[in-house]
Amino acid sequence: MDVLVTVMLVIVVALVFDFTNGFHDTANAMATSVATGALRPKVAVLISAVLNLVGAFLSTEVASTVSNGLIREGEGGVQVTPVMIFAGLVGAVLWNLATWYLGLPSSSSHALFGGLIGAAVIGAGIGSVDFAVVLSKVVLPAIISPVVAGVVALVATYAAYRITRQATLRGSTAAFRHGQTVSASLVSLAHGTNDAQKTMGVITLTLIAAGYQGAGTGPQLWVIVACGLAIALGTYLGGWRIMRTVGKRITDVKAPQGFAAETSSAATILISSHLGFALSTTQVTSGSIVGAGLGAKLATVHWGVVGKIASAWVFTLPAAALVGGVSAWLASTSTAGLVVVALLALGGGLAFAFLARRHPVTHETVNDGDEAPAAAQPAGASRQQGE
Amino acid sequence: MFLGVDWGAFVVVFLVALAATAVIVTSFALGIRAFAAGAEEPAGAGAGPGPGPGADGGTAAVAAGPVSRPAGATAAGLACFAVGVAAVLYGLWMIVPQFH
Repeated sequence: MDVLVTVMLVIVVALVFDFTNGFHDTANAMATSVATGALRPKVAVLISAVLNLVGAFLSTEVASTVSNGLIREGEGGVQVTPVMIFAGLVGAVLWNLATWYLGLPSSSSHALFGGLIGAAVIGAGIGSVDFAVVLSKVVLPAIISPVVAGVVALVATYAAYRITRQATLRGSTAAFRHGQTVSASLVSLAHGTNDAQKTMGVITLTLIAAGYQGAGTGPQLWVIVACGLAIALGTYLGGWRIMRTVGKRITDVKAPQGFAAETSSAATILISSHLGFALSTTQVTSGSIVGAGLGAKLATVHWGVVGKIASAWVFTLPAAALVGGVSAWLASTSTAGLVVVALLALGGGLAFAFLARRHPVTHETVNDGDEAPAAAQPAGASRQQGE
Repeated sequence: MFLGVDWGAFVVVFLVALAATAVIVTSFALGIRAFAAGAEEPAGAGAGPGPGPGADGGTAAVAAGPVSRPAGATAAGLACFAVGVAAVLYGLWMIVPQFH
């Protein structure tokens, strides 16, 4: 009975995590398209949602371990229990909601790794974490990916403006918008194939660990459908807060920059996954946008915003680990403790949702570029501004 | 291998992504340029250099009258855009695991 409760809670929280993943990462693919007016906000999130759903069905091969080697799992290592997975997911979900509230893009995978690490440290001791792998698979890629994508986008933006005489040629803005829509769609599809799969892996490995499914088998159909729908729904509802930061506040993205940034992101993501070490979509697209800002004459990159995003990335792993650790500590006491963690997490999630409602960002206000927070204004006023 | 990272792989990703993006964006921009050949400079083009607010009003540029474009420019433009189409198809091939 206890196992069943745990497994059910893991599945529910995993799907919530998948939802927040879509919610968070809509901005990666679609923020620039929304900012340049290439797509209307609602259309952009619909396209992205459908492509994420399609992507979820295209790629259903799950990893053999939940943590990708960050935790010494398997023979001679620790057993990652469903309770640890549950606690790790709680940490990841709460961190995703916190960064969403602050409007900061951050990697959902890193949040999940952080949560799992925290849970593993509490559940199995500090020795269960392979910090060399944390450095090589999490920390260093987080520094390198945005730089790589940023340099590529800088060169591409410079070329795009140079060749089209600063985009004054007839039809150039419209053409760049079309091109941008296509490359952003590729980013969305690639995201669906990568990220929905992670949640499928978590649920499948939990079912295997609990003995409900044979070892080494792939995800069941209902798991694929549920994960695809959760990430698509999250994408459709759209993390407008993050989208505004990415599309308008890092730099005010124009059509040639949007095209150059999305093309750089798509190329970097596809080539890295093709070579077997997929880079984080969030880190690549954020870097691309900074590069696109630097590559255009007269465009300003707001380094204050970039700094905030960078510090959010630094805190992602430790913060999610802290929540994951505390959750693991509480949840491992008894089934009652587990339920208490679930309720506390629900309360925390609702608190963020409530805070966000006090100064909402919607599809109507997503293109407000002012650095002055719309927070200070009543909701009605900022809505009028967006029109 | 230094700090457990395969730096060579990062260099490969960087170089390939840079080359691919440069080819795609350059050919796309050249395509725009070819298609704009023969057209008069759109009104207001000189007013907003670069990414100023004027340059973003693409609808004005699109709506400007019929184009008298040399056939050679049309062919060159189509060839340039074909590079982009090919890149998208290759991208799809890379994304969809069922293709390989």
